[in-house]
Amino acid sequence: MANPLNLPMATRSLRNLVSRPATRRYPTVVRPPFEGARGTLEFDLESCVLCGLCVRRCPTLALTCNRDERLFAIDQLRCIACGVCVDACNKHSLSLSPNRRPVHTRAEIGVDGRRPGYEEWHKPEPEPAAATAAGGSDSTEPVPA
Amino acid sequence: MKQTVIPMGPQHPVLPEPLVLDLVLEDERVVDAIPMIGYVHRGLEAMVERVEYTEMGYVIERICGICSFMHGMAYCVALEDIMAVEVPERARWLRLVWAELSRVQSHLLWLGLGGDAFGFENLLMQCWRMREEVLDVFEQTTGGRIIHSVNRIGGVRRDIADSELTAIVERLDRLAIGFEATARVFRTDPSIRHRLEGVGVLSGDDARRLGAVGPMARASGIPLDTRLLGEHLYDRLEFEPIVEAGGDCLARVLVRVREVQQSIGLIHQLVDRMPKGEDLPIDTKVRGMPQGETFVRLEQPRGEVAYYVRANGTKFLERFRARTPTFANIPSMIHLVKGCDLADVPNIVLTIDPCISCTER
Repeated sequence: MANPLNLPMATRSLRNLVSRPATRRYPTVVRPPFEGARGTLEFDLESCVLCGLCVRRCPTLALTCNRDERLFAIDQLRCIACGVCVDACNKHSLSLSPNRRPVHTRAEIGVDGRRPGYEEWHKPEPEPAAATAAGGSDSTEPVPA
Repeated sequence: MKQTVIPMGPQHPVLPEPLVLDLVLEDERVVDAIPMIGYVHRGLEAMVERVEYTEMGYVIERICGICSFMHGMAYCVALEDIMAVEVPERARWLRLVWAELSRVQSHLLWLGLGGDAFGFENLLMQCWRMREEVLDVFEQTTGGRIIHSVNRIGGVRRDIADSELTAIVERLDRLAIGFEATARVFRTDPSIRHRLEGVGVLSGDDARRLGAVGPMARASGIPLDTRLLGEHLYDRLEFEPIVEAGGDCLARVLVRVREVQQSIGLIHQLVDRMPKGEDLPIDTKVRGMPQGETFVRLEQPRGEVAYYVRANGTKFLERFRARTPTFANIPSMIHLVKGCDLADVPNIVLTIDPCISCTER
């Protein structure tokens, strides 16, 4: 049986009482990201030639490119910040900034200010009369005559 | 006697991941446990048929948030094997540095969770504070704390400067000194011994019969460590497998405690022995399409992972399969849970270090 008076954590606990906290006072004190951290994917339309190489390489289909409409879009919710597109881009139009992206992005909000799929989730229940007309029973077996 | 079924999980205060277990009880004693697998299935294996093999490695890393580096490494090693790619020496050594670092952070994470499970919350704080140091090293060297995306087929994407490697080793040395104080708590604290000693004893024969892997098998006295095969440059390092004879929950904790110290020692050896210099190649250009099949084994923090990859000459793989260590350890866990008290179930479940995201992919 182990000695109950043996308290190896006691020294550490007592030292913790007088030492500074290991955590920071976030959000007043923010740790700056390390150089080269993969934070947010950023894009520069001026240098882009809309070749679509990055779109083909993206493993999560987060990039959209349309040369005719001169359109380029990043779906930040799909992007996993792997940096494959940055390596693929010959014109250096894409870059990974070390700053973390905000939690909410525009992809969460649809054009009318509602989340995508809002209508599907909130469509009215089917009329009970329709259920009655179809037989009025939950059973799928044919009713014997 | 009347039996009661208590569902444990997918959400349970002690579980770090959504393990689903139905416990059949007679009074307070567990007589049977029925696991269910598939709660967090994401279909990542089937995804290889839709994502090109060159980019799939970045998705494979997302199988698990703790052994992410090892998954990415195993995938790349498998593809390099199929395509007969010669990986530069420096890249192979760097991979091992990150692999051992991820073992350190995984075990520190688990030791904290284990401490929390048996009611020692101070240990959770201590272990996770130390783990944060390792995560900082990861963010500094790979750009990501959890998902590193640093492996690519043919090598690695980032180099670590020699001066930075020395700084990392010094940082780990400081961590090892701090960890020794915590390790002493795990070894000697009477409350931990009282809670874990003799609980969930898995004998060596049972471990072999049920196919236990990793720390689970090593805690039962079986020196089973895939690193001993000497693949992936492990033959150039000197180390002994960490083995404990007890087979109980305490032995499984102590194996992991000693493995943290062993991995820090291995990183020392790696940094000493790797080829040094500026602008050494870290990447080989891969051309063509893979054709053939291969089987890769790696020692993850939780045990042996087996990867099977079959390619058909197109840019999409035909089959990808991963046998993860937690899946191999589930039969042992069920065996241990049967006959134990309900209050011991969290400890037994936690000490196999279950990674459900890996298992269900």
